[in-house]
Amino acid sequence: MKYAIETENLGRIYKTYSKQEGILNSLKGFYNRQYTEKVALKNASFKAEPGKIIGLVGSNGAGKTTLLKMLSGLIYPTTGSARVLGFEPSKRENEYLKQISILLGQKNQLWWDITPRDSYALLTKIYNLNETSSKSRVTELAQLLQCQHVLDTQLRRLSLGERMKMEIIGALLHSPKVLFLDEPTIGLDIVAQTTIRNFLEKYVKEQQPAIILTSHYMDDIAQLADQLFLISKGEIVYDGSVDHFMQTTDLKKKLIYRLKNTTEEKEIVFNSQELTQVLSDLAKAGDVVDLKVEEVDFEDVIHRFLQAESGAR
Amino acid sequence: MKMLFTAFCRRNLALAKLAIVTNLEYRFNFIIDAFIQPILTVGVEVLLWVAIFNTVAKTADATGLIGGFGRDSYLAYAVWAPFLGRIAISWMYEAMMVEEVASGSINTILSRPLSFFEYYLSQTLGYKVITTLFSVTVPIALSLYFKLPIHFDRLFGAFLIVVYYLFLVHTMSFIVSALGFYLTRVRSFTLLKNLSLTLLGGELVPIDLMPKALADLLLTLPFTAGVYVPLAYITGRGGSELLMQGFISTTWGLAVAGTVAYILWNRGIREYTGTGA
Repeated sequence: MKYAIETENLGRIYKTYSKQEGILNSLKGFYNRQYTEKVALKNASFKAEPGKIIGLVGSNGAGKTTLLKMLSGLIYPTTGSARVLGFEPSKRENEYLKQISILLGQKNQLWWDITPRDSYALLTKIYNLNETSSKSRVTELAQLLQCQHVLDTQLRRLSLGERMKMEIIGALLHSPKVLFLDEPTIGLDIVAQTTIRNFLEKYVKEQQPAIILTSHYMDDIAQLADQLFLISKGEIVYDGSVDHFMQTTDLKKKLIYRLKNTTEEKEIVFNSQELTQVLSDLAKAGDVVDLKVEEVDFEDVIHRFLQAESGAR
Repeated sequence: MKMLFTAFCRRNLALAKLAIVTNLEYRFNFIIDAFIQPILTVGVEVLLWVAIFNTVAKTADATGLIGGFGRDSYLAYAVWAPFLGRIAISWMYEAMMVEEVASGSINTILSRPLSFFEYYLSQTLGYKVITTLFSVTVPIALSLYFKLPIHFDRLFGAFLIVVYYLFLVHTMSFIVSALGFYLTRVRSFTLLKNLSLTLLGGELVPIDLMPKALADLLLTLPFTAGVYVPLAYITGRGGSELLMQGFISTTWGLAVAGTVAYILWNRGIREYTGTGA
């Protein structure tokens, strides 16, 4: 099987009850409900290879989580079709569920009242894994994530970062071939983010799973993703590599300077090809005593791209 | 096939253990649930029946019997009914199931190779086993101390039908939680269902005190198999034929509830939006 994930015009429409403000409208809604339809995702067609990470980026409500939920079989598509590892996700066959994992960064998937080690023992039974190899896998993953010391502490007593590491071990215990990661580093400090990022990078190289990763931290995407999907208002508006995106997008640079007899730093954002003109204008502005040129970072580029896309629709 | 069955058993045993470990984690909640709550309910029922029999003794000459049974028989009923009732009803786990659907935390179960029904059935059974082991000491001690007319040799049969009935109760809990796919907030259904079961099962009022037509009707329904049937069996109000009738009615109850649950779940899961994640 060349592709781990294949989708064709995948889409989902949500029907929601819409009510106007006030008690009177609540009473009206009691006998005459008005529903509106919201397109969460439409015409999503793509393919993903094993051993590659797809970075899924979009603003809140763009349709990222909806896509992950459909691919993991949590919700049914309204239109189109998806095949993951040759299975139709919405059928949720046990053979399929044994080969995938979904990690929702803002939700606990392990059991709150017991220790992670107890949770892993339970997962070992649920996935029908060999107990000895499962235990050694926990040890190995905990070492890589530097969190052996909290394996025997009740989950509810762990910090957010420690909890997320525990969740990652739980998600990888059964060696899934496809992994859906929804905001795995959300709310974590920079050290925990880096540890998880480095761990994922190493893990993909060694185990070759296909991963779809959503994150609001562009460093996650920039460091990890082989392929980038930008999603806006339910549509995939860019599908390509991160490098290609950076090369083809109207990249801007930032010139930061300070004039003589001033303490304030000023900046000019310009297109790469305008550098000569910008320097010429600056020379006319006065005596420059300090100057540096910076790349506008990935996050800004994406943000501007999505803003432009969103405005164009 | 054998391997699949072994894996199924291991998985469900582990889930039952999870319920036991989790409940023992919170000691005070467990003590209140397993001891205090049934003791208080027994106290209320015993006082009620003592008051009724005192009134009967003052106002009637008669035999001192009500519905053909004497004071001790009703006290035995009062001591065992709340105990059996708490086994045969599901508040806590049904509330958790409803919450899973409403909040979207059911995603964790749906994305793993096990069913929502199985996940909570094993936990409910584990929880019932551990609380019953502790709380059964109360009615046994009271029955021995007050020499109440209990056939202790029939306890096994009585427990067997209660456990079987628990499958029906769990299927009803599953139906209520599946309604959450359509209606989101369904807690009032839990209240309605449990109050109905308390009344129809004979926990509040013994079935043989109800008008004959109603009592006959209720005995044909499966709901009496949770409290009245096992209680009638251990207090000698009925024999093995009553127990058998309870097993049969629970079986067809399971068939009906199972069909409804299957339809509601399969339609509901298509509507599910994976809320909150």
